[in-house]
Amino acid sequence: MKSSQRAALWFLLPSFCFVALFSIYPIVESLRLSFYRKILTLPWLGQRMVGWENYTDLATDPVARDALVTTLLFIGVTIPLELLFGTGIALVLNQVFRGRGLLRAVVLIPWAVPTVVASQMWRFIFNDRYGLANFMLFGADTSSYLAPLADPYLALAAIMIAEVWKTTPFAALILLAGLQSIPDELYEAASMDGASPSQKFRHVTLPLLKPALLLALLFRTVDSLRVFDLVYVMTQGGPADATNVLQFYGYKKTFAEGMIGYGSAIAVTVFLLSLALALIYLRGFKTSRWEGARP
Amino acid sequence: MSTAKTIPVILALLFGVHGRIVNAQTTELRFVTWRSEAPEVWNRGIADFERQNPGVKVISEVGPQSSTQLHDLLTQKLKNRDPRLDVFVMDVIWPAEFASAGWTLPLDRYFTASEQQQFLAAPIAANRYRGPIFGVPLFIDAGLLYYRKDLLDKYHVAPPRTWAELVDASRKILAAANDPQLVGYSGQFKQYEGLVCNMMEFILGNGGELWDEGAMVSGLEQPATRAAVRFVRDRIIGEISHRGVLAYEEPESLALFTEGRAIFHRNWPYAWAVANDPKKSKIAGKVGMTPLPGFSPGKGAAALGGWQIGVSRYSTKPDLAWRFATFMTGAAMQKRIALATGRAPTRRALYDDSEIEKKIPQLKSLFETFKQAAPRPVTPVYVPLSNIMQRYFSSVLALRNTDIDTRAAFAARDMNRVLDLLRDRQAP
Repeated sequence: MKSSQRAALWFLLPSFCFVALFSIYPIVESLRLSFYRKILTLPWLGQRMVGWENYTDLATDPVARDALVTTLLFIGVTIPLELLFGTGIALVLNQVFRGRGLLRAVVLIPWAVPTVVASQMWRFIFNDRYGLANFMLFGADTSSYLAPLADPYLALAAIMIAEVWKTTPFAALILLAGLQSIPDELYEAASMDGASPSQKFRHVTLPLLKPALLLALLFRTVDSLRVFDLVYVMTQGGPADATNVLQFYGYKKTFAEGMIGYGSAIAVTVFLLSLALALIYLRGFKTSRWEGARP
Repeated sequence: MSTAKTIPVILALLFGVHGRIVNAQTTELRFVTWRSEAPEVWNRGIADFERQNPGVKVISEVGPQSSTQLHDLLTQKLKNRDPRLDVFVMDVIWPAEFASAGWTLPLDRYFTASEQQQFLAAPIAANRYRGPIFGVPLFIDAGLLYYRKDLLDKYHVAPPRTWAELVDASRKILAAANDPQLVGYSGQFKQYEGLVCNMMEFILGNGGELWDEGAMVSGLEQPATRAAVRFVRDRIIGEISHRGVLAYEEPESLALFTEGRAIFHRNWPYAWAVANDPKKSKIAGKVGMTPLPGFSPGKGAAALGGWQIGVSRYSTKPDLAWRFATFMTGAAMQKRIALATGRAPTRRALYDDSEIEKKIPQLKSLFETFKQAAPRPVTPVYVPLSNIMQRYFSSVLALRNTDIDTRAAFAARDMNRVLDLLRDRQAP
């Protein structure tokens, strides 16, 4: 080995250690713990290997099942909206007009605000006595004010709205990058062939935007599968468990109840779910690139 | 510089291995607490403690106000055996859990029986787990009923002694006042720990229980418990409150009351000072306070709340930590806290203190309530049990048309499974 290669290995070592310490080790450790029964507040039970017990318990746990349904519902509603609004915003920002730079920065604000701060803001917006949402719907007629966070259905909707507001800019950013990679010649050629704007959108923009759409879909799905802070700040999983998403349930089991083994099993399940979704998307990704390359 | 010399430098930069200059003369004592409503009283107390103990520096780490969130912060530190935590505040429901996990120091060596006699019995009992004592009571809370004295007088209604009377009184006043803003009752019904306190008061007041501590089985299926839950859903929430209370913790429910929009309000003793402060309340001087009603007169139950000071098992200076705990819970400090915030002292003698009596005259009349306040069951698995109960209560209150009996059976089964974990202790 040449000395420069050895030096390169040395330089790589810190980042490897970093990844190993903060990424590989926790994943492996969670996986290991998920096969044990370990309850912090009952130390005399010790740490006992229980095989698949945590996973079989999880499969039959109605609360976990409800949490999974809530999480999937959350993803199923928010992601299409984020992509829809994101595409719209990206199309606008892709045009040349005065103040575009400023607008691009402004659009990113929701994404830049720390989630806890944003969640607190939305909690105020949905307040039943002085919330902005009520004021916009009912004005001064306080007797018809709703209490969104006190209603199981509205509370989930409120969290979805906050999530869409918060993460649409991220989708828009990825889609804008996708739009900018579409060569102008294609639009010029389409114009020459007499294509209408909507035809241009359907036959030029959309197919070539597909890789960016899939990328946004991938990032957003994996991310919102792990939604936590909005729930933590806005509802703590209530009312009636209506906003108890998987990640929050796992957090409560691990950190509040001290059920380390069971909580780890939930964490591993969330990890496997996002891995599976990522793999499915990546397959779609490959075929779409191939399609995109076709004349 | 050669490669061999560069690596440690890079590692040091990355992982922040740098020397800290520590004055050898000072001993640091780390105290985890929440932000008090009178921080100046606490700061002054800590300054006094530092003056009495030269060379000691108390570093307060202010955690979240919410009990649930502070619990997660503290258990995280204790689980990791953090030596940078010496002494901390504990909610009344934590000592058993912390003691069982081995996180708190048993204090019997310092906290003598005669000293314990100086305190009210209920909070002392809440600080015991299987014999030893693990915390020193700082102040005591108990659920109380606040009401709008002016409205009750105006419509000739007496303060209710039973929950049925409370509903009737509310309906009468609501009908007569004809104010769309006004509701009958404001309490804490969000899915969180406070929901257990609120529901427990109804349940115990009806002769039911959360669980049977002798037989170690859930009490949610007991007829008296189910009847109390049904009463809250159909009559309290259904008839005289508004659905917003299902998202209320203490501050929101108190705000509704201090805005003059609730006739009756359930809260802890601190609410008295807030409701009567003209700067914070529109109803200052129009507030009455009484023990919580029962389902028959004189059978009301109040949940025991309150905070303690505990010492970490992983503290390297337990003696100093103990000195701090006794100082903060001493008569002088408790008196200051009571005078500044209206928080009820845990030391019996302070209920005869003339200065406190002058400033907070109602405190003495509450002495009986404090003495009889019902603790939530003492167990190391309190949090999982509480989460099951919160889920059950919130479901039957927030989802209209749920079947209480079915849900109670589900929740009871879940609770029994958790309680069964404790049986293993007897097994070899």
